[in-house]
Amino acid sequence: MCSNSTTGSNIYLPHLATVEEIIDETPDVRTLRLVFQDEQLRNSFSFRAGQFAEYSAFGAGESTFCIASSPTRTGYIECCFRSVGRVTEALRRLEVGDSMGVRGPYGNSFPIEQFFGKNLVFVAGGIALPPLRTLIWNCLDLREKFADITIVYGARSEADLVYKRELQEWQQRSDVRLVKTVDPGGNGPEWDGKVGFVPTILEETAPAAENTIALVCGPPIMIKFTLPVLEKLGFTDEQVYTTLENRMKCGLGKCGRCNVGNVYVCKDGPVFTAAQVKAMPAEF
Amino acid sequence: MQKYLSQQNFTTLLDKLITEGKRVVAPRLNSGTVLYEPLQSAAETVTDQLPRRSGKEAFFPLCEDIMSYRKEGQQVLLNDIDPARFPETVLVGVRPCDAAAVPVLDAVFSWDYKDEFFLERRRKTTIVGLACTTADDACFCTAVGLAPDNPKGADLFLTPLEGGGYACETYSEKGEQLIQAHRQLFDEPRNSTALPLAQPQTETVDLKKVKAWLDEHFEDPAWDSIATRCVGCGACAFVCPVCHCFDIVDEGTEKSGKRRKNWDACGFWKFTHHASGHNPRDQQPKRYRNRIMHKFKYYDDKFGQILCTGCGRCIRLCPVGIDIASIVEEISKK
Repeated sequence: MCSNSTTGSNIYLPHLATVEEIIDETPDVRTLRLVFQDEQLRNSFSFRAGQFAEYSAFGAGESTFCIASSPTRTGYIECCFRSVGRVTEALRRLEVGDSMGVRGPYGNSFPIEQFFGKNLVFVAGGIALPPLRTLIWNCLDLREKFADITIVYGARSEADLVYKRELQEWQQRSDVRLVKTVDPGGNGPEWDGKVGFVPTILEETAPAAENTIALVCGPPIMIKFTLPVLEKLGFTDEQVYTTLENRMKCGLGKCGRCNVGNVYVCKDGPVFTAAQVKAMPAEF
Repeated sequence: MQKYLSQQNFTTLLDKLITEGKRVVAPRLNSGTVLYEPLQSAAETVTDQLPRRSGKEAFFPLCEDIMSYRKEGQQVLLNDIDPARFPETVLVGVRPCDAAAVPVLDAVFSWDYKDEFFLERRRKTTIVGLACTTADDACFCTAVGLAPDNPKGADLFLTPLEGGGYACETYSEKGEQLIQAHRQLFDEPRNSTALPLAQPQTETVDLKKVKAWLDEHFEDPAWDSIATRCVGCGACAFVCPVCHCFDIVDEGTEKSGKRRKNWDACGFWKFTHHASGHNPRDQQPKRYRNRIMHKFKYYDDKFGQILCTGCGRCIRLCPVGIDIASIVEEISKK
């Protein structure tokens, strides 16, 4: 295995992890299940839903993604990414058994304890399901702590839906309501979900705002049209949570690029309430 | 502790430190440009010019290795960089605008996660400041609350005297240790007059007013006129004593290579460019606004200090003549 000479003081030094499993979610979106090579770390690594990590393909560099698996599932972590650049292309070239780097967990997290006893409505679009999927499983694994759970998830087409096996599982469970949708024209002959944009479908299917927390992740255009729908449904900005994504390098509050105004997404985020987001300058 | 150091003993001190195996970094002429660089001998020092780049690279190099990697089959071997290997350093002839920058940088590199690459160099460096006797049109330290004889950040501060030599004053244990270890070179303080200090021309800027305007004017038509000329070359950030944004990149192949921390600049379009193609700061005025906001608002919000020591380097070097001192002064009068 890899015995490394480390002083423990280098905050930029990644942990080594082995790719244990590769799952293709869509033609260009891939999940990697990773196991830390250091046995002690494998057993002790813990994080909270919403936190992110810096994943490295050596020779290509590091990329920032959320930890997409649930903190309740221990022994491994998962990341999920679309291949769009140098690092993600290199991560895509990794095979089962290959080594990669992981630094983290970084950033804040969803205040899950504050959601106990409440209804939850998850609203996600496309590739933005992973940052909520960590919390969805976290909540499902502590199911009795929450009231009704609704998941509204949409993508451009059936092919663009990620975590298809889990969508099926959620659909079959009686203790969670899944509403899946694809944009008009994105449905094939077998499609058993809704057809329409996420904000529209949310308006038709959302639970009452009272005692409910909404967790929203999606492309900026989806967020833009979803927030007014939630407001119309009676959600206050404190009842709505989202995560912000910005280009990052260090993840540690040093390198200076992920700020939105004086808010550093890597340290103050990535999880924010809609109230916090609305207080930020429009620079994201 | 106050002492006198003759010009000749100043030279002897530097040569002694070099002989002792210390890394002595001081202003030095390199192909026509004065830079803070390691000296081979004291004779190389140039003390009458402000170095082109700041002193920050003694702690935060332009490019530095943070680890190396080597692939063997499916395994990867990582080699850590041990900060313990950083050499004991004496940074000599540091201008007040450069010395004052160091405690400002302490804040970002030591809050929460500790960047030992900066902090270990910091621990191992003694800063010998030097008062300025000349200023040019771009100098504006007095406008941002510093001065040509302000010892902020210095462990030992030298003030040039009429007739030669320096008045020395210590400001830390490190400064005292430097004198103790070479006490035969230092004499009792003399009654000589200090050489007239430099007189930067810019008037004092009311930084509270600047902050108050920035707090309320993220969106303002003024940003377009302020920054429309900026070409995004990044020179201002590279010569700045307190700009500290950096990139992390792998240099090498998938088989072996190094991971490095390199200086970066918020003026570059790619700095905030997302993989998706989206860019939150997609136009140069937005990037320049971030530069001003970070320096005079965000860093102050977070650490209670501003990211500017008035060295004027960005003004001297800007290819399109952007003058941060005038910009800040104008903002203070809005």
